Amino acid sequence: MQEKAIVALGSADVQMPAVRGRLVRSKWARNLLTFLVVFGPGLIVMEADNDAGAVSTYVQAGAQYGTRLLWLLLLLLPVTYFIQEMVVRLGIATGKGHATMIYQRFGKWWGLFSLIDLQVVNFLTLVTEFAAIALALGHMNIAPKVGVPVAAVGLMFMVLTGSYRRWERVTVFLCLLDTAWLFIAFKLRPATWGGAVHDMFVAGLPTGGVTTGLVFLMVAIVGTTIAPWQLFFQQSCVADKRLRFADLKWSRLDTFLGAVFTIVVAGCMMVAGNAAKVHGLAFSDPAQLAHDLQPFAGEAVRSGLLLLMINAAVLGTTAISLSSAWAYGEVRGWPHSLEMPVRKAKGFYATYVVCVALAAAIVLIPGAPLQLIIIGVQVLAGIMLPSAIIFLQLLLNDKQVLGDEYVNKPWNNWVNWTIIIVLFILSLILAAQVVAPNLFPAT
Amino acid sequence: MSVMALLRPTAISNVSEDQFVVVHPLDDVREDKVDTASLGRMSMTPSVKMSLMALRGYLVLMMLLVLYHVIDLSGALGQSTH
Repeated sequence: MQEKAIVALGSADVQMPAVRGRLVRSKWARNLLTFLVVFGPGLIVMEADNDAGAVSTYVQAGAQYGTRLLWLLLLLLPVTYFIQEMVVRLGIATGKGHATMIYQRFGKWWGLFSLIDLQVVNFLTLVTEFAAIALALGHMNIAPKVGVPVAAVGLMFMVLTGSYRRWERVTVFLCLLDTAWLFIAFKLRPATWGGAVHDMFVAGLPTGGVTTGLVFLMVAIVGTTIAPWQLFFQQSCVADKRLRFADLKWSRLDTFLGAVFTIVVAGCMMVAGNAAKVHGLAFSDPAQLAHDLQPFAGEAVRSGLLLLMINAAVLGTTAISLSSAWAYGEVRGWPHSLEMPVRKAKGFYATYVVCVALAAAIVLIPGAPLQLIIIGVQVLAGIMLPSAIIFLQLLLNDKQVLGDEYVNKPWNNWVNWTIIIVLFILSLILAAQVVAPNLFPAT
Repeated sequence: MSVMALLRPTAISNVSEDQFVVVHPLDDVREDKVDTASLGRMSMTPSVKMSLMALRGYLVLMMLLVLYHVIDLSGALGQSTH
């Protein structure tokens, strides 16, 4: 496979066709600058996964079990990296999105199944993102019927500029705002950091052992850390950014740093939830927790938690809507790039706008069955995840597409099949609990 | 110099011996990729066949469980277990 140099080495004074780039004088500067231009999709896909649902799940885990499940997050760090790294390889090698690849290599039936499943799960997830925005705004005394449409319009403007780079910069900035979780965790720190560090590196079960609640929560943590839309999003993002073969190592680094940042932020969310346990507060949702923690932690923590909840939902919404728009645009054969002006990619942008507008509108309907939608998201995402990863694994073993250089190595396959088997087992445990609710003790 | 200024590209037509050019992927010439459209469908090796069969079985099982859950919740199976 052709390895294309992205930098011109100055071996002599070279006259070349004018290119737009930056001149640097050292290899160190070249590497740093190359990393910075490639940086983006990895951080965004990982941090956008810390969306409103994830905030709720991690904070609930902290509120119920303190820092006892931090080890699970550490375990998920390599898992989430390995899965997304495969997507990067596939995106760079083919320059195409995940939906296209499933259609082309597995046929129309599997392609349609994946696309419909993705669109349904994504849309239901979007509704939960806007529900979280409405909830947080309500606690900030801002009427949801004003705040939700404003958020929706802002989310539309983020992508309608016809510039991939502009969207990426805004989104990376929003991702980096999540460093504020470190401040929240510091303010709500556990009695001793030593205990939290112990819980991170020593796997163990909370007091009370294996219960239905614990199993559900552990499955939810896995499900929220590895989501099907991430596969579609990052591959399309890599393709839209036109990353080159030589960018692979920097894109891997971007993905790895994104995974580390995301897991650190998720850990901070768990530490924040731990404060509810410490102060004996009942957990219902993160916004309520922010309100209840104010007497102990102050107004800055309350406002910070609410704003971070909105930021999480905004990040989740833009990434999930884009994964839907890219996938649908690819399959329909429409122009589908953030680099294109609206008039040249009407279908692609319309899909994004419709997803955002419809999800926002549903949240504003009085008495909308939001709880049913949240359960629907969990069930469908649980069903879809193992199947999406199987397609990914088969595509990454496809030598016709990836050649010898980029195809999975035997150790990749061992790791990935182990991950797939664990995910199947978790899905089956979830399913078994549906059939036999008393499989594990209730308390 | 800010990061944004550092990343802002300029037109370059001459590179001296001690210099390197870094080009943003969107400013670079499009790279040739694998023509996946001409490859057609994936060849059904035993491992691919087995994986897809396992996936079909898993999906059928999950759908049956969801169906059972819905029927159970509706009370058609007697007193709901939930």
